[in-house]
Amino acid sequence: MKKLIAIVLCLVMVVAAVACTSKPATETKTETKTETAAQGKVFNIYAWNEEFKGFFEKYYTVPEGVTVNWIINPSDGGVYQQKLDEALLNQANAADDEKVDMFLAEADYIGKYVNSDATMGIDAIGFKNADTMYKYTIQAATDDNGVCKGVSFQCCPSALIYRRSIAKDVLGTDDPDEVQSKLDSWEKFEAVAADAKAKGYYMTASFAETFRTFSNNCTMPWVDANKNLQFDPMINAWIEQTEKFIANGYTLDCGIWDDEKNQQMFADGKTMCFFGPAWYFNFCMGNAQDPEKGCSGDWAICEGPMAHFWGGTWLLAATGSDNAEMLKDIFETFTVNEDVCSKLVANEKQFPNNTKVVDKFANDATYGSEFLGGQNDILAFSKLTGNIKWENHTNYDQILNESLQSCLQEYFKGSVDKDTALATFYQKINETYPDIVTP
Amino acid sequence: MNENAKSRLMLILLRVLVYAILIFLTALCLFSFYLMIINATRSNAQLQAGFRLLPQEHFMDNLKNAWTDASINIPRGMLNSLFIALTSAALTTYFSALTAYGVHVYDFKGKNLVFTFIMAIMMIPAQVSAVGFVQMMNKLHLTNNYIPLIVPSIAAPVVFFYMKQYMESVLPLEIVEAARCDGSGEFRTFNTIILPIMKPAIAVQAIFSFVSSWNNYFIPALLLDKAEMKTVPIMIAQLRSADYSKFDMGKVYMFILLAILPVMLVYIILSKSIIKGVTSGSVKG
Amino acid sequence: MSLENRPSSGRRKSISYAKWGYIFILPFFLVYLVFTLVPQVLTIYNSFFTNYMDGLKQVGPDFVGLKNYVTLFTPNKQGIILILKYAGNTLILWLLGAIPQFAIALLLAVFFTSYRLNIKGQGFFKTVIYMPNLIMASAFSMLFFTLFSKVGPVNQLLQQTGLADKTIDFFVSKVTVRGLIALMNFLMWFGNTTIVLMAGIMGIDQTLFEAATIDGANAVKVFFRVTMPLLMPIFVYCLITAMIGGIQMFDVPQVLTNRLGMPDRTSFTLVMYLNNYLSTSKNYGMSGAISVIIFIITGILGGVVYKFLSAQYKDPVEKPRRVRKGARK
Repeated sequence: MKKLIAIVLCLVMVVAAVACTSKPATETKTETKTETAAQGKVFNIYAWNEEFKGFFEKYYTVPEGVTVNWIINPSDGGVYQQKLDEALLNQANAADDEKVDMFLAEADYIGKYVNSDATMGIDAIGFKNADTMYKYTIQAATDDNGVCKGVSFQCCPSALIYRRSIAKDVLGTDDPDEVQSKLDSWEKFEAVAADAKAKGYYMTASFAETFRTFSNNCTMPWVDANKNLQFDPMINAWIEQTEKFIANGYTLDCGIWDDEKNQQMFADGKTMCFFGPAWYFNFCMGNAQDPEKGCSGDWAICEGPMAHFWGGTWLLAATGSDNAEMLKDIFETFTVNEDVCSKLVANEKQFPNNTKVVDKFANDATYGSEFLGGQNDILAFSKLTGNIKWENHTNYDQILNESLQSCLQEYFKGSVDKDTALATFYQKINETYPDIVTP
Repeated sequence: MNENAKSRLMLILLRVLVYAILIFLTALCLFSFYLMIINATRSNAQLQAGFRLLPQEHFMDNLKNAWTDASINIPRGMLNSLFIALTSAALTTYFSALTAYGVHVYDFKGKNLVFTFIMAIMMIPAQVSAVGFVQMMNKLHLTNNYIPLIVPSIAAPVVFFYMKQYMESVLPLEIVEAARCDGSGEFRTFNTIILPIMKPAIAVQAIFSFVSSWNNYFIPALLLDKAEMKTVPIMIAQLRSADYSKFDMGKVYMFILLAILPVMLVYIILSKSIIKGVTSGSVKG
Repeated sequence: MSLENRPSSGRRKSISYAKWGYIFILPFFLVYLVFTLVPQVLTIYNSFFTNYMDGLKQVGPDFVGLKNYVTLFTPNKQGIILILKYAGNTLILWLLGAIPQFAIALLLAVFFTSYRLNIKGQGFFKTVIYMPNLIMASAFSMLFFTLFSKVGPVNQLLQQTGLADKTIDFFVSKVTVRGLIALMNFLMWFGNTTIVLMAGIMGIDQTLFEAATIDGANAVKVFFRVTMPLLMPIFVYCLITAMIGGIQMFDVPQVLTNRLGMPDRTSFTLVMYLNNYLSTSKNYGMSGAISVIIFIITGILGGVVYKFLSAQYKDPVEKPRRVRKGARK
């Protein structure tokens, strides 16, 4: 019996030890709590990376006594949305200081949150959309009943980014207006692709390079009212064009984020055209800006065959937030405040969601992008903003667009036939969205 | 004489062959590490420019960038990971040995059932029950807490199975009985006599468990989101998933290097103790 | 073995120590119950329900009986039962890596423990071969992906040495993709297996080897007659854990093929299939059903291997057991 007691004691000790090991966790928890016990003193922001956090910390002054908690989860493997969804579904039961106050969302899945009770109208917190904001950024954050749930601090018109030297060789000019006149329709684009090929160049570096241009101009959503999958003529046009481009060797067959494509951005690259918004050449064209092998300054932008946009980050107001005043402040800082928006352009190379500031830079003769050989990128992009359409979006776009590209890549590379590739696409949809009816 | 020379020649040939195999495998294994280290010495632009076999000059830049990164506190993450991995390794080896000992040495009703049961649950894939697990932890308010990352390691069927198999090959029951004759209590016998005999097995499983805990991403990523609680793999994933915005691959490789370094050190230290533990041959007593 | 010379030990054991058995296994089962069993039972329970998220809206749970299982085993329009295809992929991918893994590991374990060969620098070799196991699988896969990409160093090397006249795309062919996955699994696990098997061989009573050698047995004979039979419990352990790992294969193909298992999903594994259901829509019903199937497959395979191997080496393995059984009465 004594031994039994000894063992029980041992077990208790072990359990105690285990409990002790977990103490640091609980301790840190209570620490943060006592710091910020008063109501509305904690502002929780969910995000998937540090990009906006950087701007926030530089340009927004947090009211005294408020602690800002950044809850950052990677979007890899859907972890960000998974955690965010959990928190939002738990919002009603969470303590005030644990509640989500604001969260970030991307264009491809913003609808999921906008059309839900998890977000609240910005009217409710006293924020009015300003005239200086781009219309599509408001549409994207507005639900089916016309209630706007958040704002974007950026506008993402996407342009055709071309190599000046190759354009000179192929088109005889590198002037953005003249290049645009020679590339303003898909027929012309294709004709030029043939010329480029004849001179030993590629028109595009990825089979999916032009996908966004087509998909942004669809006339119907991916899924109809009865949840039937439908292929827009634009999507089919993209597939046909890509078939032709691959067959004729006008493009490489790699994906849009592949190293193989990135290598084409070096000085010795053979590709004439890339497509992307301001953030693309600022953040994703590092090779072009490489001091040794890059070709900074040998680039320029024009509209290309079709207006479109790509990406963008929205700030959404979470239902149940107890920091309405601060939410309003943040929204104002990053959309209305001209000083901050100017700094976003000057220091962060963003294209801000403020037409006044954009106009200021567009009309500033001294402003120009070194990367684009002195071209005023704000001016160029501002001309594209009027044509951006936000329509025919569904909550499923991200996965559908991604999966279509990845499944068809196998077809374009020649490892499967088209029907097999599409069958895999439908299968992937069945696995991800059981509600969608596939052919 | 001739026979002897022949067998000696055979032995030399065999040795050459064995060393050749070993060197080949070593090269194969080191290659990826080598590349990782090389990549940690290169800037983002250099990395994008393709592979190179020789180091470049950005090692210290990358180290500084990684170590002092404002948002990703890698020293803190390493400390967190170390704490979780060490406690998990200790708990998992101790309790698995204890459980295996309980099944191995004692005769009790339902003993075979227990063994079969553990064998069966060993085979349930972790992926789906992980989701149920996370749901439950949410309900119990154990998110942002290390308990769900450490305590479950007490019940590790795979480690139990190894310990049980190991006991079967090296642990004669006579040792237990001799201890009983000497008046040693059951619990004391286990702690003072059995555990030392099990040392090689414990060392091996401690490494395995330490490493898998250190590298564990799936569950911690679902449970931890407070910056000061995050573990190394979460931080690395966070760095990589900088989506379409700017990310510095040189720094990423440096983070991976930092993430692996402690594991390598622990392994090198423990691998010595394994060899020692095995060669001292505690079994013979 | 000297064990057999202690026949009288049985009587003392008849003092019931059974309660100690329960006490010793108690913590395991308590923790298991709370942290594993409940979620696992939930998983099986879920497999009989429609239960997923459509955006932020929960669909279900509605009891549907075996519908999820029926869906899984219904052939698609091409007449393929996908879960069987993915199970086949998983098995092939595992075998391709596991066969060399066990062959090499067994060989190395014998080399390292052989007094006759007396391998120098063992500490170094062992440390090195185990190293790949330390890298996070996802980081390792990323590395391989860059290595073998169309613009990676392997292609550069092949072209510089004239072994290939144009760029090879390793990710369009079933053979190369599967080969790469197998190679990575092999590299990550053969060192691990070697060390475990070594610990097993070194646990064997050395006098047995000496006795066998004195009896004139050569190295091969010693290996098959002494080493293997006595190593069998540990070997079976390695095989079963490797198989469980194999059937749950996920990180490597997931990252290497960027979640696609290309070409035509020929490197797509069961858990990748499960993960597709789970990751976006949290489809507990379908993923629950897949995991139950994985569980059943693993159970059958594990049982077969265990039975088969323990039957083959029945005599030597049985010996110590018989002693123990006698002692327990």
